[in-house]
Parts: sequence; C-alpha cells; structure tokens
Amino acid sequence: MIKKTTLIFLTLCLVVSFASLCPAADTIKFGFNAPLTGFAAADGKSSSEGAKLAVKQINAAGGVLGKQVELVIYDDQAKPANAIPIANKLIGKDKVVVGISGSYSGPTRSSAGVFQEAGIPYISAYAIHPDITRAGNMVYRTGLLGTVQGRAGAKLVGDMMGKKNVVIITLQNDFGKSLAAGFKSVAADYGIQVIAEYQYSMKDRQFGSLVAKVKADKPDAIYASGYYFTCGPLVSQLRAGGVDAPVIGQEGYDGQKFIEIAGPAAEGVLITTTLDRDSKEKEAREFMQAFEKQAGYPADMVSASAHTAVKVAAAAIERAGSTDPEKIRQAIAKTSYKASSGLIRFNKLGEVMKPVQVQIVRDGRWHYYAVIDDPELLTPPEE
Amino acid sequence: MGIYELSLATIVGINIILALGLNLITGYCGQISLGHAAFFGTGAYVVALMAKAGYPAPINLVCAMLITGGIGIVVGVASLRVRHDFLAITTMGVGFLFLGFVRQQDSVLGGEMGLSGIPSIGLEKPAFLMLVLAVAALCTLFSVYIKKSWMGFAFDAVATDEDTARLLTVNVPVYKLTAFALGTAMAGLAGGLYCYFTRFIMPDDFGFITSISVLSMVAVGGIGSVPGVIIGTMLLTLLPEMSEFLSDYKLFFYGALLFGVMRFAPDGLAGVGSSLRGMLKRSGRAV
Amino acid sequence: MLFLELLIQGLIYGCMYAIIAVGLTLVYGLLRILHVAHAGLFTLGAYLGVIVTNATGSLGLAIPVSAMCVGLVGMAIYRLCYQPILSKPPYVALIASIGLFIAMEEIFRLIFGPYGLTYTQVPLQSPLSLLGMSLRMVDIFIVFGSVAMLGLLSWLAQKTRIGIAWRATVDDPQMAGSFGISVQNVRYLNFFIGSALAAVAGIFISLLSNLAEPTMGGVPSYKALAIIVLGGLGNVTGTLIAAVILGVVEAYGTIYVGNLLDRDAIAFAFLILVLMLKPQGLFSRK
Repeated sequence: MIKKTTLIFLTLCLVVSFASLCPAADTIKFGFNAPLTGFAAADGKSSSEGAKLAVKQINAAGGVLGKQVELVIYDDQAKPANAIPIANKLIGKDKVVVGISGSYSGPTRSSAGVFQEAGIPYISAYAIHPDITRAGNMVYRTGLLGTVQGRAGAKLVGDMMGKKNVVIITLQNDFGKSLAAGFKSVAADYGIQVIAEYQYSMKDRQFGSLVAKVKADKPDAIYASGYYFTCGPLVSQLRAGGVDAPVIGQEGYDGQKFIEIAGPAAEGVLITTTLDRDSKEKEAREFMQAFEKQAGYPADMVSASAHTAVKVAAAAIERAGSTDPEKIRQAIAKTSYKASSGLIRFNKLGEVMKPVQVQIVRDGRWHYYAVIDDPELLTPPEE
Repeated sequence: MGIYELSLATIVGINIILALGLNLITGYCGQISLGHAAFFGTGAYVVALMAKAGYPAPINLVCAMLITGGIGIVVGVASLRVRHDFLAITTMGVGFLFLGFVRQQDSVLGGEMGLSGIPSIGLEKPAFLMLVLAVAALCTLFSVYIKKSWMGFAFDAVATDEDTARLLTVNVPVYKLTAFALGTAMAGLAGGLYCYFTRFIMPDDFGFITSISVLSMVAVGGIGSVPGVIIGTMLLTLLPEMSEFLSDYKLFFYGALLFGVMRFAPDGLAGVGSSLRGMLKRSGRAV
Repeated sequence: MLFLELLIQGLIYGCMYAIIAVGLTLVYGLLRILHVAHAGLFTLGAYLGVIVTNATGSLGLAIPVSAMCVGLVGMAIYRLCYQPILSKPPYVALIASIGLFIAMEEIFRLIFGPYGLTYTQVPLQSPLSLLGMSLRMVDIFIVFGSVAMLGLLSWLAQKTRIGIAWRATVDDPQMAGSFGISVQNVRYLNFFIGSALAAVAGIFISLLSNLAEPTMGGVPSYKALAIIVLGGLGNVTGTLIAAVILGVVEAYGTIYVGNLLDRDAIAFAFLILVLMLKPQGLFSRK
C-alpha cells in the first residue's frame, strides 16, 4: 500500500520535472485589444479577424526574427476603464513587444498612455481621435485621421462632383464630429455651402423627422457620417422619403452589411475609405480573398486596418533585427510598407500619410470610383 | 506587485468608493438611484478642468466632492417630490440629461472628444494606489460610523417606512437630502480619482451602463451592508479578469450572475454570509 | 408642410412606443415590477420575425408565430424569474430583470453574430404618397396595426369575461381571488399579451430599419420605463397617450433642439419636467 502511493508520487515528480525542463514555446508576442463583447462587438470581431489573418500569414512565411508570432487578444468592451488594466497586463504579464489597438478611440487613448509610459510601441489600427498619437513618440496610427478624411470628403463633393448646397448629417461621437469638422474646414475652398447641419445619436435607427426636414432643405448632396447600423437605415429611409440627392459617406459605411441593410437604396452611395475593392495591388487582393475565406464574410475597412497594423509591426521588427522597444520604434517611424489598406508612411507625429480611396456601390457591391491624392489636403498635423 | 495588478487594484479601490456612495443613498436611505454615474462623471470633469487649469490635486478633489454634493442636493430635492419607482426613473433621467448635456458642450467640456492631456497627480503608480485605498478605507469607516450613529437610525427609518418615520418626527426631507449629498459627494471623489487614473475622460465612461454596474455591485454585495458591498464590488470588478477563459461568454456570465444572485440570494453576499454564520452557530450548538 | 410631416413621424414613433410600453405597464400594474427584460422579448420578437419571414417568405405568418412564441417565453419568464421573488423589495426584481436582459442580448449575439440579421426581401417597402408626403407601406401598416391591436386589447378588457376578470385582479387581487378568479392565470395572461405586443413592436422596428441586432432592445429598455412613468404607472390609457406625446416631442425636439441635447436627453428632460409638476405622472392611477 505504501509502496504504491510512493510510486505514484515519484512518477508525478518525474512528470513535473520533465515538464519544467521542456522549454516554453519561443514566440514573439503582439498585444491586441478589441471590443469583443458589448455594443461595439461587430467592429471588434472584424478587427480581431483581420489581425488573426495577418498573424497567420506572417507565421506561414516564417514568422518574425525566426520565431512564430503569438497574438494575445483581450476584450476591452470599448471601455477606457477596461483598457488600462489590459494594457498593463499585456506589458507586465504577457511581455508583448508591440501593442495594437483594434478598438475605438476611448480605450485606445487610455491604452496609448500606458504603452507610452512603459516605452513599448503602440499602433492604433482605426481609432480616429487626434490625441491618440499625441500620447507620445511610441504611438502610431495606420488609419486615417477623421479630420483628414473629412477634408477629402469636401474635395470629393465640391470639386470632383461639383455639388454646392450640402446638408451635413453627423453622428454624435468623436468619429462623426471630427469628420464634420474636417469637411467644414475646407468646404468653402471648394465652393460648398453648408445649408443645414443635423446630429443624431449612435442609438438612432429611425430617422423619420430628419428625413422630413432634409427633404424640405432640398440639398444638392448629403454628407452623412455614421456606421453601417445607422447609415444603412438612414440611406434607405432617405430614399423612401423621396430624397434623391447623392449621399457621401466615409469608412464607417465600409462593409457588406451596409449594402445588405440599405438594399437598392445603397446604389450610388459614395464613401471615402482606405480599402479599394477593385484594387490591382497584390496585398489588397490577397487580403480580401484570404479574409473572406477565413471569416466567412467580405472584408471591410476595420479588418483591413487591423491587418495592416499587424503587418506594419511585424515588418518593422524584422527590419529592426531585434525586440528592443526603441529599435522597433525607430523602425516603425521609417516604415514605407505596402499594406492591404495602402502605402503606409508615418510623419513626425506618427500619423499615416496615404491616399484616400473613394468607393461607390454598384450592383450591390463596393467598387472603385476615384482616389484622392493631394498631399497638401491630406497632410495630417505634425504635432 | 506588477503594473497589471497595481492597475486592477486601483480600479477596484475607485469602484469601492463609488459603490459605498451609492450604498449610502440606496441602502441606507432606500432611495433607488439609477443615475449614479452622472455624479461620478461630474467629479471627473471638475477635476479634469481644474487640473488642466493648473490647480493642485488636493484642491481639485475637494472641489469635486463639494460641487458634486451640491448637485446631489438639487437632485435630492427632486426626490422629495417623487417616490420609489418614480424616483428610480427620475434618477435615470438625470443620468441621461448629464450625458446629453456634456456630449454637446464642445468648447469647454470637450464634447464627444472628451478631455485629454490631464496632468498627472504627481504620484507613482504604487503611491497612487495607496492614496486610493486610503480614501476607500476612510469611506468605509465613514459608512460604518453613519450606520451606527443616530443618522443611521434615521436613514433606516426612512428606508423602511417613510410615512411612519415622518410621524415619528424624523425630518424626512433633511435626511433624504443628506443621504444624497453624502453619497453623491463620494461619487464625485471617486470620479476625481478616476480622472487622475485614466488621464483621459469621455462622456461614454459615465453612461447608463455604468450606473447599472455600480447598482449591481451594491445589490450583489447586499444593499446596506458595508462589508457586503465591498466584497460585491471586488467580485464584479475582477470578474472579467478572472473569467478570461470565458472570453466570448463573459458578458453573458455577468448578466446571468446578476440574475442568479437576485433570484436565489436576494440579500446578496451579505445575506449569504449571515445565513452561513447562522448555520455554523446552529451546528455548533448541536455538537 | 414640414410641420405636418414631423407630426406624422411623431405619431409613427408614438405608435411603436405605445405597443412596447403597454406590455410594460400591464406588468407593472399587476405586479409592481419594472420588467426591463421586456426589451429582450422585443428583440426576440424581431429576430423571430426576420427568421420566419426569410424562411417562409410571408410576413403574415411571421407576425403571429413570433407573437405566440414570445408570449410563451414571457410567461415562462414570469414563472421562473419573477414569481419566486414577488415578496422581495422592488430593486431585487429590477436588477434580476436587468441581468436577464443583459444575458438575453448576449445570447442573440452569440447565436446570430454581432452584425444582426436583415430581411432577404424587405416587406412593405412600396412607396405611398399621402398628403404630399412620401411614406412607405410599412408606415401606414404600423399606425393601423397598432390601433387595431390596441382596439382588440380594449375590447378584450371591456367586453369579455377574461378581460373583466383581468381588470378585477389588477384592481384588487384579494377580492378577485375570493370571487374564484385564478390570480395566477391572470398573471400568465398579462405576461403573454404584454410579451406578444413587444414582439410585434420588435417586428415593426425591424421593418423600418431592415435590421434585427442584439442591442436593439437597449433604447426601449429605458425609454419604455420613462413612458410608463410619464403616463402614470399602471395606467394603460395614460401610457398610450404618453407614448404618442413623447413620440411627437422627440420628433420636433431632435430637429429643433438637437444641437443642445440628444434624443434621450430630450425625452428625459420632458419627463422630469412633467414629474416636477405632476409627481404621479400625467394621468395618475385611477
């Protein structure tokens, strides 16, 4: 009896000591925070799928610095209060070499502060708040700034489409407001007159009174900001209400779901974004095909942005030749990388300088319409 | 303690202060408040504006308490006119009004963009945690003192049966207002500390969901019980971290937990605690 | 012209609010519970409506099927969730309901994904010109449908034995019980009807925006509470009138005061104003 117990005990000891002898898998960890649950779960899903695809592709090509990349994803529910412990966990416990945000502005801004203080590089995939990169030199952004995109929108409407009397419909959050601010800042330069401006909240899906008022305004064009779940219904109700003016949106519309919701009303809607469905570029095409295969639905801006951010980070580490944070940061700053969402180069502040794609809905899918390339118009702030 | 544990502990501390404040209003005085986040937010915005204007931290935090407490009295006046379920909805309305107002003030309050670049309180992370825990401890002692004092007795009377309390010449309005003032001042203090913690605040941090979260912490802990509320707060704050393995099912689990506790243990953890004690006592006697 | 359009839009909103709020006030009138999970049943109704319509191509089939199923779920919720805690203080049921609602929202997200469901062919979208305004069939459908259902409800309450038993139980449960009315059955009926109405409201909303999403119950969860308080808790007629008034106030408010306060803030500002003047709501319990 005693002998049996001792035997079992000894065996256990052996097993445990063997296990501790086996080296832990040697990986390079990328941190990723996204809203996997909560009100922003749709974007959280897209961004994490995009990031996972990027890591899969990187590892299939041999990884980074000879090691496999491990993506450590945590759910921040799009809340800043959750984001801070997560950032601390990624840095302190998981010891990530770089952090990427697949989340909204609030949590990204809070995380950026933590990463900056800890001296670890942090890349914001699509959060648009201007103060994110102002957190410090460790923080970069691969997505377009809201104000920059707004300016591009003004050029599209006033200059390229020649529409003068415009109604602006703005989503009441940082995304919508920065787009409207950017649009208005250069509207006069393109001969645009803003005849009315309306706001709506993220929770609104019924726009009956708004449609009635806009109809009375008789605009030449409508510049409306929002996400697929607000602008899908909005566009559909505008058309049903007899408002035929062209609608120009932004990357918040970018996805198949917008077209599904708005149905035939989506035809002819234009958006400024970063993913060109008709792109001839290898990176973009490969990404879109691989994404649809992995996730089961067509790629959208959020997934492309997350994919880009991860790829940029990996490429920078490879160029830096080491996992030293300062070396990685310098490599990121010197990035000139062709990603699924365009050629990525950063300015002094860490903002991306890349052209804006204009897409249009034709026959129920997004297609190329134009590209806006004016360096002067699109230059992001330097500080 | 790693930076991760430090940040978690700090959040728990801030939530405890917030929950104890709500416990004062809801637990001690029986006034259901569904808009507590508005006071949390008020404290945060006050500190943010003052800190950015260059005032030192102690003054900012005190101002946060005073201003929030003052607004609490105003809301408390509203509670004098309405009762019970009407009050719950009114406080909910206050929460939405606060949010709706702040969202639109682009100039001073930053509107949707929130306020960023809030200067540091000047303490290292461990020292800041000590500060938060010290404040939480003070609030705990204060809550316990109130409960045992005559004010606590009056609060109890109002909570149990307002009309009878009135007959017993308990000055119901004054005590209701006092509960609101104290509870909201605590929330304002928590908000100020939160502001120094994140150094970036947006209106969304202080919405209806936040109000519900705090109420849940109090309810799960056991309304009125100080130790219960503290443990309940710790549990619900740390739950997302502990249930990382649940990942996708986290929020579902949280909802199920809230429902489960109210359905099967409506007196919260405090209730469970006292039944356990009762059981132990009885079994002790039997032996 | 604009004035009229806004009024009509306000009425359409008001009808939807009315259908959701009636269920809530029925529950409150009987049990004094703030049944937040009602919004979860609203969402369930929308999802079932979309699924059945997409599967069978018939909205006419989807509505009764959805209403029936959700009505049964509502009854189950009463039996399993509320009945055991009726004797507890009111906040217990409130928080239990909130927990239930959160769990329901998550179930929708976990099963159907975060993007929500859309109709393959949205019914009732053909345009309709009325008094110079461009509406869709669905707008008329909602108004007439709501009026019809509420009319049916009213007939049920006034002219049938079940209805009389119901009203008696609401007024005085003990007295009703002593007359041999099964209070339990009345409660089941209450939840069934209220939940079925919520399901129909959910379908209406999904028709207007072509979307059934997990978080669509969020706004109704608290907005409906505001409406039943405005109408005077437990007062069905009051709730209906309050719903329509709120719909109209929001329709005008979002256009003219929208730069100062958002839609929710407008609704609650109006509510608080009314409560300060009439603490029992616009029409207090008779």
